Amino acid sequence: MRYVLSNLGQGLRRNLSMHLAVILTLFVSLTLVGAGALLNRQAEKTSDQLGSELEITAYLCRDDDPNQSCQGEVTKQEKQRILATIEDNPEVASYRVESKETAFEKVKELYGPEEADRFEGPNAILGAEDLPESVWITLEDPSEFEGITSAIVGLDGVAKLVDQRETAGKIINTMEAMQRAALGIALLLVVSALLLVANTIRLAAFARRKEIGIMRLVGASTLYIALPFLLEALVTAVISVVLAGGALAGFQYFGVQQRFSDYLEFIPWVGWDDYVVALGVVAVLGPVLTLLPTLALTRKYVKV
Amino acid sequence: MRVIRFEKVTKTYPGTGGPALDDVSVDVEKGEFVFLVGSSGSGKSTVLRLILREARPTSGRVYVAGKEINRLAGWKVPRLRRQIGTVFQDFRLLQSKTVAENVAFAMQVTGHSPKEVRALVPETLELVGLDTKADRLPDELSGGEQQRVAVARAFVNRPMILIADEPTGNLDPTTSVGIMKLLDRINRTGTTVVMATHDHGIVDQMRKRVIELDHGKVVRDQAQGAYGFQH
Repeated sequence: MRYVLSNLGQGLRRNLSMHLAVILTLFVSLTLVGAGALLNRQAEKTSDQLGSELEITAYLCRDDDPNQSCQGEVTKQEKQRILATIEDNPEVASYRVESKETAFEKVKELYGPEEADRFEGPNAILGAEDLPESVWITLEDPSEFEGITSAIVGLDGVAKLVDQRETAGKIINTMEAMQRAALGIALLLVVSALLLVANTIRLAAFARRKEIGIMRLVGASTLYIALPFLLEALVTAVISVVLAGGALAGFQYFGVQQRFSDYLEFIPWVGWDDYVVALGVVAVLGPVLTLLPTLALTRKYVKV
Repeated sequence: MRVIRFEKVTKTYPGTGGPALDDVSVDVEKGEFVFLVGSSGSGKSTVLRLILREARPTSGRVYVAGKEINRLAGWKVPRLRRQIGTVFQDFRLLQSKTVAENVAFAMQVTGHSPKEVRALVPETLELVGLDTKADRLPDELSGGEQQRVAVARAFVNRPMILIADEPTGNLDPTTSVGIMKLLDRINRTGTTVVMATHDHGIVDQMRKRVIELDHGKVVRDQAQGAYGFQH
């Protein structure tokens, strides 16, 4: 065992520049993969909150609705008529009704857990009854919406129509574009990381070819011969994962929490729970990316 | 007890003309000392490679220590090789390690405890006559001494078989005699020795079993032979 460990240190020092190259490449690619995972989650959260670009939202009247077209809370008959109109319209793919309670939950999520107490007790600034019911309509085709909007807009009980395509569409498109870019660059870097790992092993196997030859002859097991290579791969992977985790944590803390969430308050931002998921992806991917090629290549170079 | 058995073994390397070994059947008993002679390309090296399972026969069977080794699973090959010590013409020592470390290396990488290493390495160095040079580097030794280190490394795990591929090929005649005496001593401990060589003088002197190969065929197998034919 001591032999294996002293060999590990020696191997890492001997090939220091190659190992650094692997670590840096892996670090950047893992960070991008993690960022891609966070952006993916962010896009999901945003579209949950705002609706996707295929959606139109009809807010129904509530009690004391300031909107001109409302005369108090929407009645049962009015609501049935509205839903029937939506149901029959050929431009509609599907629809769902969002209750006052769901709307209330969304508002609470926007403010975050720190301010949850503002929505509780007798002094709550807002209750579920202050929010309108809404119908979220998904269109068959985002460019065909005039039929449905004109059909609903005049109905009794409808306060207003919001076309989500304008607000949500832009934000979600931007996020998806960023996610695609991050994952695209990550993919390129992953490929170069794999090539670097392969090269490192080739060099290390060449530097140790005499030793390996003797080990094979005297009957050292394949695992024993491959172990220094695998440990080296594991060490580089762990360092890269730690660096990437740190970079993502920095982005999450300084970027998302300290900046974005102040500028853009109407979107719920990714939290530390999402960071943990992204970190998990990175922590699995890192070792896999170094250990798999190492296993495959040591089998090739260190054939029994 | 048969330690090595070749049963109608043929070995053809892809892309070459004739077979390297052609229908060879040979038995080697435990404790025997066997010379493998023949010109370059006669198949000596192929025989050694097959015993070590560096190569597999194209047809026929090779048994070593009672096991049919061409049917041995890959992961069991290291276990087989621990029963075989190997010595080469070019010594193959690790230049950055001392004499003792080179010998210890063979034990360490096959999982022996430090205690076993401490016990067996000095004993083996004494056997090969290098106990006073344990801390020297290979560079500081003569060719004959380096080959003694290689023999010590091959023997330190107390193998059943010792394979020597032209062990005296790089040494002058006087030094060669020393190495042969050493191999003979190892043979007397019960270790089977198979030695491939070109060296007429040595073969004639030792009067051991001689197997001569020519173009992959056994043309002579003589109990107390000399290098050339003797009638």
